[in-house]
Amino acid sequence: MNKIWIILKREYRESVFKKSFIIITLLTPLIMIGLSVLPTLLMFLSSEKTERIDVIDQSHSVYNELTVNLKDTLKNKKPKFIFKQVFVGNKPFDRLLSQEQALIENEQIDGLLFIPSTVEDSGKVEYYSKNVADLSLNHELRNAIRKIVMNHRIVKSGLDPRMVQKLIRPVEMKTVKIVKGGRAEERGFIQEYFSTFIFVMILYFTLIMYGASIMRSVVQEKTSRVIEVLLSGSTPFQLMTGKIIGQGLVGFTQYLIWAVFGIGLILFGSSSLPGVSQYLNFSPMTFVYFVIFFILGYFLFSTLYAAVGAVSNNDQEAQQMSMPIILLLIVPIIFNGYIVKSPDSSLSVFLSIFPTFSPIIMFARINLSNPPIWQIVSSILLLVLTILFSIWIVARIYRVGILMYGKRPTLPEIMKWLKN
Amino acid sequence: MSILEIQNVSKSFGRFKAVDKVSFTVQAGQIHGLLGPNGAGKTTTIRMIMNIILPDEGHIRLFGQAMNEELKTKIGYLPEERGIYPKMRVRELLVFLGELHGISRSLARLKSQQWLQKLEIGHTENKKVEELSKGMQQKLQFIGTILHDPELLILDEPFSGLDPVNVNLLKDIMLDFKAQGKAIVFSTHMMDAAERLCDEIVMIDHGKKVLDGSLSAIKNQYGKDAIHIEYKGDGNYLKKADIIHKLDDYGNYAELELKEGVSLNAFFSDAIKHLEVIKIDTRKSSLNEIFISLAGEGEDHE
Repeated sequence: MNKIWIILKREYRESVFKKSFIIITLLTPLIMIGLSVLPTLLMFLSSEKTERIDVIDQSHSVYNELTVNLKDTLKNKKPKFIFKQVFVGNKPFDRLLSQEQALIENEQIDGLLFIPSTVEDSGKVEYYSKNVADLSLNHELRNAIRKIVMNHRIVKSGLDPRMVQKLIRPVEMKTVKIVKGGRAEERGFIQEYFSTFIFVMILYFTLIMYGASIMRSVVQEKTSRVIEVLLSGSTPFQLMTGKIIGQGLVGFTQYLIWAVFGIGLILFGSSSLPGVSQYLNFSPMTFVYFVIFFILGYFLFSTLYAAVGAVSNNDQEAQQMSMPIILLLIVPIIFNGYIVKSPDSSLSVFLSIFPTFSPIIMFARINLSNPPIWQIVSSILLLVLTILFSIWIVARIYRVGILMYGKRPTLPEIMKWLKN
Repeated sequence: MSILEIQNVSKSFGRFKAVDKVSFTVQAGQIHGLLGPNGAGKTTTIRMIMNIILPDEGHIRLFGQAMNEELKTKIGYLPEERGIYPKMRVRELLVFLGELHGISRSLARLKSQQWLQKLEIGHTENKKVEELSKGMQQKLQFIGTILHDPELLILDEPFSGLDPVNVNLLKDIMLDFKAQGKAIVFSTHMMDAAERLCDEIVMIDHGKKVLDGSLSAIKNQYGKDAIHIEYKGDGNYLKKADIIHKLDDYGNYAELELKEGVSLNAFFSDAIKHLEVIKIDTRKSSLNEIFISLAGEGEDHE
């Protein structure tokens, strides 16, 4: 035990104080925050401009109402839209159009809105501008005009616009999730998918990341030939165990730092980012299961990665040989959408109990529905048995593999190592 | 009590028999040479002693016991394949290796300082291993081997890659250890180094033990009076002369043995008729010659 502790300590210290670890640990949350704040920030920036729009209103019925309806102001209290009505008079229409176009080109105005006299029948208006990709502006203009024109039509047909509004009000459906203890929560597909997906992706990426770092570390000890020195003071099993636990603690440290960032973001950022916090609304049980399945998944995949490291001679070889492991992790990701849709189908149940998929899929199912407790227990139990079995096998592969140089062992050779 | 006892140990890799029924014992206070050419099975034997690979048959006992975790703290092992963590700082690496071999953190720190000073690399303490020269790294690894003051030192080619000054430094430490009554297994293919340092010798070739015993006894038993001759002229004479039993000719220098009953005088008077003799002397044959003769005979039998 003492030896494992010494190896673990070295492993932890060397990784946590490495520059790359510090950079990744600090940069990741900054990028996450950046990605969630940036769109809001950009939205604020884009609206900081007054739109000067000339209007040719040949129907003579829209312009006045438009100026009344679009009276939004910017943050600096200036109006968002400044409309100016332009009359055709006795000029030819084409001349007027090219004049206005010149104005737009010289940036004296931002746009020209043309409302033909037939607008109530054809339902068509035209908008000329340098930038026609400003979706929110287009949307706002179109909605305002649409409302005005619709009202005109309704009035013309002798109905009361308010009455019509009342009649065509849409119906909205609220989805409510029943969770343990008969408690009901208001949740929808987006929330379900999003929150499950976030956790599943964190599981997936960190299992691959920490597993691969164990693999690289084993390969490095092999290529730097340090392994024999280590074996003069410890057994291969102690070496492997110390490494796996040490790297696991490194991962935990990273999680802890991220969790602090995350909680801070939710606590202090939820007022400015109301959209994000509703998706990050998890029960404590979800978190407990996340920790359980992360630890179990970590032990399973890190032993597998350690085995791959032990039988490889360099990083490239290890990279290639770790493909089957990555496949085991990708399958649950592929099935994630299916699991969200039908978390209790027999295929979902099977996948959530099958040891190599269970860390991700059982966790997803727990998050989505309430699988019976026997399924959760048997999934965890099978996983633990698989971990013990793979440690037993991998320790043998490791013992022989770490001293093999030069040629990559074939599968029959590895099978032979297992026998003796 | 013998420190190390190896009995009939064999190891095969596939069909290749790396070590074939090798036995020898190592006593305290002795430097025990494990000799043989490259690929003879020295490193495999040592790895079996260290329990890194398991023998197919035979027994290995250390300090009267089978190898176990406790014993590893009494052994200092310098592998042939040198390797240390390149990214670690020198002091941290040594403290780690000390702890790994069962000494406390504080003692490891103290000892590593002392040894770094003694081996004249004290200034590297806070550097990263990868910043050191190859020779310094060699010395660093040697310190890692002896830091925990082991009772048994197993050194696999300890001098390879070192300059003569550093070879002397290491040699003195080895002799110190011997004087303290510790045992040293010294594996090398350099016979002349072994000849100067070892008390006892085991020679292996193609996995088989060919020789075993004290250096002086071996030299008495197998060593013949060899004639070393420096000459100018046509060396073909030496090849043809029928009074010569064995010849190792280098062109203008040769080592040779005479047939039984032929005196040095007789050879000399014959030789000066054909060659210009620059220098001639006789001495007991070197370990190298003994090895070549024994290994050569072994091959004749097969």
